[in-house]
Amino acid sequence: MASPAALRELQRELETKADDLNKIQKDISKNHQVRKKYTIQLGENELVLKELDLLSEDANVYKLIGPVLVKQDLAEANANVRKRIEYMSAELKRLDATLQDLEDKQNSKRDAVLKVQQRIQSRQAGKAKA
Amino acid sequence: MEEAAKKGRVTPLASLFPVEEAHKAVRRVHETLSEKEAELDQFRGFISDNTNLINLVQKLPEGLHHNIMVPFGKAAFFPGRLIHTNEFLVLLGEGYHVERTSKQTVAILKRRGKALESQVESLKATMQDLKAEASFFGITASEAAEGLVEIREDYVEENFTERESQSGPPKEHPPSFSEADKVKVAVEDEEYSRMMSRLDELEKAELEAEYGNERHEDIGNVAVSDEEYARMMSRLDELEKEEHEAEFFNERDEDNAKLAVNDEEYARMIARLDEIEKKPETERDNERDEDEKIKANFDRSSDQTSLDKINRFSESRKLLEQTKDKKSATEETLSKRDTRKDLTDQLNCTGLTVQSRPEEMSHGKGLVQSIMKSTSLEKALVLPEVKENVQAASSSRSEVSRNSVPTNPGGAQALGKEWSFPQVDLGLLPRIQNRDLIVARLLQVPL
Repeated sequence: MASPAALRELQRELETKADDLNKIQKDISKNHQVRKKYTIQLGENELVLKELDLLSEDANVYKLIGPVLVKQDLAEANANVRKRIEYMSAELKRLDATLQDLEDKQNSKRDAVLKVQQRIQSRQAGKAKA
Repeated sequence: MEEAAKKGRVTPLASLFPVEEAHKAVRRVHETLSEKEAELDQFRGFISDNTNLINLVQKLPEGLHHNIMVPFGKAAFFPGRLIHTNEFLVLLGEGYHVERTSKQTVAILKRRGKALESQVESLKATMQDLKAEASFFGITASEAAEGLVEIREDYVEENFTERESQSGPPKEHPPSFSEADKVKVAVEDEEYSRMMSRLDELEKAELEAEYGNERHEDIGNVAVSDEEYARMMSRLDELEKEEHEAEFFNERDEDNAKLAVNDEEYARMIARLDEIEKKPETERDNERDEDEKIKANFDRSSDQTSLDKINRFSESRKLLEQTKDKKSATEETLSKRDTRKDLTDQLNCTGLTVQSRPEEMSHGKGLVQSIMKSTSLEKALVLPEVKENVQAASSSRSEVSRNSVPTNPGGAQALGKEWSFPQVDLGLLPRIQNRDLIVARLLQVPL
């Protein structure tokens, strides 16, 4: 019978599917890290915005750009911080969607892997009986 | 009873939750717990730094200038003078600094301190939940090691009159608290819903029947053809009896009442049978009204119970095992249904809060960075030196966060998936199912 060859084929299939699954999992963890970074920054920006709101109009705001402390306008600083917050929330949403995608793919890959495994097992069981 | 025995399946608990894996789960929870403790210590360090800073900032304006030793490079100082003692450049975050006076700076720092403390509180709550989980796993591990077994039986509809003969001795299974639970619950999920709907229908029939003085027919129903109705009726009567019997039950928990009742329940059941036949019509009317009250009791009991009452359930299950009375079991399951819903809700809550914690953690780290930076500004802005420190600290912090990420996403993922486990319509969940899910989550085993 072509059974040994078919068995090897199945095993190869299993390997490739397992590799895909691993890749997807790595992607998911990377996604998580990036998400985490963005979340931290978003939190920080929100704090900054809160403090800026508490300032009076004539307070001096400086921004550290490299080694330089640059005087900034309060209104300008407010606007910048708000824009950053918006941008980061949008990024987070995008990442969430990607994450969801990846998770779905991961599930389907996992099912495929299991199926191939089952086929291999049944094949082997059949061979053992024969 | 023999029929039921034939259909039973005995599963050693150890096979469901292998002892080793349960131990591993316990160890893993302990590790997470120690991680959280380290974070807690870190937070406490931040809070103390913050307080010191506040004191310093308050002290500085006391003089017009201060003679200090100014740090110069990595390993040198030179004598200098600190002037403009009321002007502070405070780092707000994201590279934004703002000029503030001493009082304003103190206000900012106090707000930061409050945020830190709230994070500490949430972290402590997480730790508590973890500790509860750890103890839970410890119990599971020890139970599995003792060789407890789970017994599942198909639910066999019994004839009402045959119950007397079924007060037989418990089977040869080793004593286990979880047995009766699984037996009754796993088997009676569907029966319960069926019974409830039957109960409603039959209640209506009863009402109509009573007004026409057809009590005899009702009794006939009870005694003969409608087994389900008879069972439900007598059980409801039991519960009414509990209400009737003691005003003092109101002061105790409903569960206590039920537990105390379980012992005599069987005997009462028989007495009840006789009572049903002899009861005058008016009392039957009262019974109908009582049915509502009984349902209210169920709700009340569910409100009162909590995670701590798992022990009580174990006791009640033991009693169930002894009496081998399925009716009492259904009563238990009714109360357990609601409590288990509480359990799952509570577990849900813990799951959710654990998920949100990691994000809050990062806030604290950002804050610390800013605190350290602002202290450097006070010392006449020797940025390079302090920046090195800050960077070293931040890299170690990011490592910590990176380390915690792998454990959390898996958990968060699993949380997202598995907390929506399929529930019976009325939320009947065997205790073991919760365990399944928790263990599976932590063992990263796909269910």
